[in-house]
Amino acid sequence: MSWEHTDRPRLGLKAAFPGRLGFLGRMRVVLVSMWCKASGRYSLIVLAIWILVSLVSRFWTPVPIWTTDGYRIWQAPSRTHLLGTDGTGADILSWLMAGSATNLVISLLAVILSGVLGLLLVMAMVSRSSGVSQTVVVLVDALISLPTVLLALILAVPLGPSIAVVVVACGFGYGLNLARIVRPQALLAAESDYVQSARHSGVGSFRIFCTHLVPNIIPVLCVQLSMSAGTSVLAEAGLTYLGVGVPSGLPSWGHSLTTSVKFINVFPLTVLWPGLVVTMVVVALNLFGDALRDAIDPVTNPRFRVAVAASGRSALQSERQTPSAQSDDSGHHVENAIHTGEGGR
Amino acid sequence: MARFLMRRLVLFILALMGISLLIFLALRILPGDVAAVMAGLDAPPERVDRLRRQMGLDRSYPRQYLDWISGFLQGDLGRSILTNRSIASQVGIRAQITFPLILLGLGMALLLGIPLGCAAALARSPRMQSFSHMAAIVGGSVPALWSGLLLIMLFAKGSGLIGLLPSQGFPALGWAQPGQALAALILPALSTGIIVGAGIMRYTRSLLGDMLSSGYVDMGMACGMTRTQAALRIGLRLASPQLVSVIGLTMAEMVTGVMVSENLFALPGLGSMLVTDVGNRDLPAVQSELLLLAAFFLFLGLLVDVVHRLIDPRFRGVARQEVAD
Repeated sequence: MSWEHTDRPRLGLKAAFPGRLGFLGRMRVVLVSMWCKASGRYSLIVLAIWILVSLVSRFWTPVPIWTTDGYRIWQAPSRTHLLGTDGTGADILSWLMAGSATNLVISLLAVILSGVLGLLLVMAMVSRSSGVSQTVVVLVDALISLPTVLLALILAVPLGPSIAVVVVACGFGYGLNLARIVRPQALLAAESDYVQSARHSGVGSFRIFCTHLVPNIIPVLCVQLSMSAGTSVLAEAGLTYLGVGVPSGLPSWGHSLTTSVKFINVFPLTVLWPGLVVTMVVVALNLFGDALRDAIDPVTNPRFRVAVAASGRSALQSERQTPSAQSDDSGHHVENAIHTGEGGR
Repeated sequence: MARFLMRRLVLFILALMGISLLIFLALRILPGDVAAVMAGLDAPPERVDRLRRQMGLDRSYPRQYLDWISGFLQGDLGRSILTNRSIASQVGIRAQITFPLILLGLGMALLLGIPLGCAAALARSPRMQSFSHMAAIVGGSVPALWSGLLLIMLFAKGSGLIGLLPSQGFPALGWAQPGQALAALILPALSTGIIVGAGIMRYTRSLLGDMLSSGYVDMGMACGMTRTQAALRIGLRLASPQLVSVIGLTMAEMVTGVMVSENLFALPGLGSMLVTDVGNRDLPAVQSELLLLAAFFLFLGLLVDVVHRLIDPRFRGVARQEVAD
């Protein structure tokens, strides 16, 4: 790129905005602002426990999951079996802990798949060629009414029940959904002046998408992706119950729900726990998206301004103490950045 | 409108063809010889060959596909491998349970979702607002299986805490006994309706909230309506096109819940039939049922788009497609 038309040398990001927060600094602001709201705090705690338990369960569960005891089936909660045992004498708590790892993997993979697919579709939807964009829009409209469970059933016939069936079915369905919801935002950004000017200065469309469109759709993306994670937990439970989800040897929350279904009238407690866990996690995922959206937006989140101003002030001070390379000009930039609160973007 | 309809219809057919190909190929990758399995373990090879010819499995894949599709279009869905009964008649019987169940579930979801969503949007006190927000989120986070189980524990006749409604099976005479048939469907419909209703409540709340902050409701209030009146008469009406498309989508997502509750409440509907056939690897049955359901939902999507267009006055008399999106 050439900068001949400006008479002053181009400043790097750090020099132009001494108050600019690094990645860790921004993460800290986001986490703190989420923690300060009740819903955000709940979701952070539940998700942290979820991840921690999945990691721990790889190495340790209170009772090894394959330990069954024919003399101790359908036990009430006790010291050795904190949540009781199920119809084979296996420890319910251990199975729930082991299942959380499976569900974490499924949710993560489904979110990644749907995110990638959704972003690719959005990229095609805002493409300059109207043929491509119209085709993709109409294609998404036509395919979006296909239920996830039908796709899972189609896949389950050749593949048998497996994690892949759940992940692909969820990822595909939620990806289409994501594209449809994100599209208006992306179109709005694609018609904005800064995208026009970037385009006219010769920036490629992929780069424009990454640097200008993606930041604009991040709020919607946060909400949708974390909702997709929640829905994939629900879908896993449903599909596993229908026999096309996680295979029966693998612990998962859907599996825990399914095993005790037949005996609910006799042993209602065994059904209570897995359902409670699933509901709590899905609620947390739904709240997490909203909280993240509110916290991540540098324009509406006041904490960003405070943090940027503080870090800019300290940068300026250290600059004054060692007056060397920086010219007065960049100092002027800094004052502006702090004043408008733009430095954090 | 005509041009939009044409394009949408062409796309519907293309999507259906794509899906039918996908279904066909997915079922053909299946390892193992269906004819050999059907004929039995120690069947002579001639018998296997005869069966294979009878089922058309000796023909080339394109030929099989065309046979299947042309039969499908003429209403011949093939015969089940296991029972050798006509699939079309089976589907006809079972659809009498599944479609009323879907409609009843949707009705309950609408009855729960729209009034509660309106109330949530109109609520002024912050406590009420956050309570309704939480109610919508928690309601939408309950697995259909679990809500069904809780409903059984609460309301099932015989074993529940408040024994009111039957929770297992469907009356043998079907709709000849309308009261009992309806009673058998209430709990399953409720268990699917709750989660969908929570979703609808959330959307209604956010759509109506947007409308409240738009100028239209202010205009209505300036003309002498109360806030509630203006929101319900003007805001809800303005939000209705988007609401319709959201409801169409949630209806598609409801199917998972419907299938789960059919199995849970032991209703012999399409969903439980499909799940059994997938388990049995009953190839002709599975492929026809999947295509039938896919066609139904693609058609539903088409219908929702058309209704969206019809009730949104901004599309009237406008030839170009991209206007208001």
